[in-house]
Amino acid sequence: MKLCIKTSDVIDREVLRTLLIDAANELTGGKSQLLEPKLPWDGHPILVADAELHPVLISFDPVNSQSALLSGLQATEQIATALPWVNQVYAALGNQQRPPRLVVVSHDPPPGAAALLVGCPDLKLFSYKVLKVNEETGLYLEPVGRHNEVSAGMPPETAAAVMEEPAETPNGPVALPPLSDEEKNYFQQL
Amino acid sequence: MACQLSPAWQRKAVASGRLAKISARFLSDTPKTGQDAGTCRAIPFLLDNPELVWVAHDLCGILAERGHSSMLCHLHEPSGDEQYPRLVEMLHNQAGDCEFCLLPTTSTDTVLAHAFDHVVLLVPANLDAVLNAYHRIKLLAQQNTPEIGVVVVGPRDQHAAWRFFRKLAVGSLRYLDVPLLNLGFLPEQVTPEHAAHDHHRNNFLTRISERLLRSKFYSTLPDRKVVRENV
Repeated sequence: MKLCIKTSDVIDREVLRTLLIDAANELTGGKSQLLEPKLPWDGHPILVADAELHPVLISFDPVNSQSALLSGLQATEQIATALPWVNQVYAALGNQQRPPRLVVVSHDPPPGAAALLVGCPDLKLFSYKVLKVNEETGLYLEPVGRHNEVSAGMPPETAAAVMEEPAETPNGPVALPPLSDEEKNYFQQL
Repeated sequence: MACQLSPAWQRKAVASGRLAKISARFLSDTPKTGQDAGTCRAIPFLLDNPELVWVAHDLCGILAERGHSSMLCHLHEPSGDEQYPRLVEMLHNQAGDCEFCLLPTTSTDTVLAHAFDHVVLLVPANLDAVLNAYHRIKLLAQQNTPEIGVVVVGPRDQHAAWRFFRKLAVGSLRYLDVPLLNLGFLPEQVTPEHAAHDHHRNNFLTRISERLLRSKFYSTLPDRKVVRENV
């Protein structure tokens, strides 16, 4: 079969919503259940439950990454304050009363993404590209910048000063010296 | 009376020369605040993981606040001979005429290759990290053992910090005959997310910087001008 792949910059908001619901497993990192395809708040984010039955908010915007982020943060706050109610309404959450995780999807990462990721370990950012494969529209989702965590929030000279050598292993450039049984026993407990 | 100490507390062999060296270092301890023009003082930081670079970065800021111009520098792998002139030139290129060059690295090989005589180990407060630090000390001890200082990062409190340091120090002394210098600790409440001028955070970092300066825990490299003339 001949594959014809094209990229496209423009996508309708509701088409994007449908594609994100289809890709919910990828966004939440496991098997997920759709709880609410369109929450009635700014940005109309999607609410799903992840594999551990924790709530996950998927906030998105086809164009404006800042808007996606802000709407997502606002919705996270609203869900967090209404947790008892949310757990009653959505039985799939198992009444665990867990606060929601936020996933933000936008065409480009929002400004300050690296600093945000350092400060909010539960936040996940994805950028997307629209692909048309044989006239079928699909999404290419790419996680944003966890590898930039170390240097975020530091001046450039600091980030540049971080050594990038691979972590040493027994098979590394210089093999670590072996430990005697006595040494091993000594370091087994504090 | 027979010695009742646990074997772990007993030194493998008494090294009087080493003790004398350590004593001399503390007895001649006269802190200076002036900067010797052209003198480059290098403080290599051997990090357990790259995330700990914020400690070196913040210490750099604290030293600068205390009147010691300082800069973080990137430590390249040396190649061939003439390590010292190459290192001094390299640091000069990066740090200009700064008094202190702080050199964070995660590689024991790099520290070994540059043959530093002082190394600061940043050790997270957990048993795996302590064992990893011991491995590194053992590796460093296979050549000319540098003076090794330890900063424990992330313990619950001072007592926890002491327990982790003691575990490492006693093991190093007992099995490797390498004494360690306790340079202080940064409790778990002090994190890179804190504001740069957080008072609590600065207190701990200031204590560490004071210990570094008072115990002259740095490698003084040859005068840059002399090196430049000779190269």
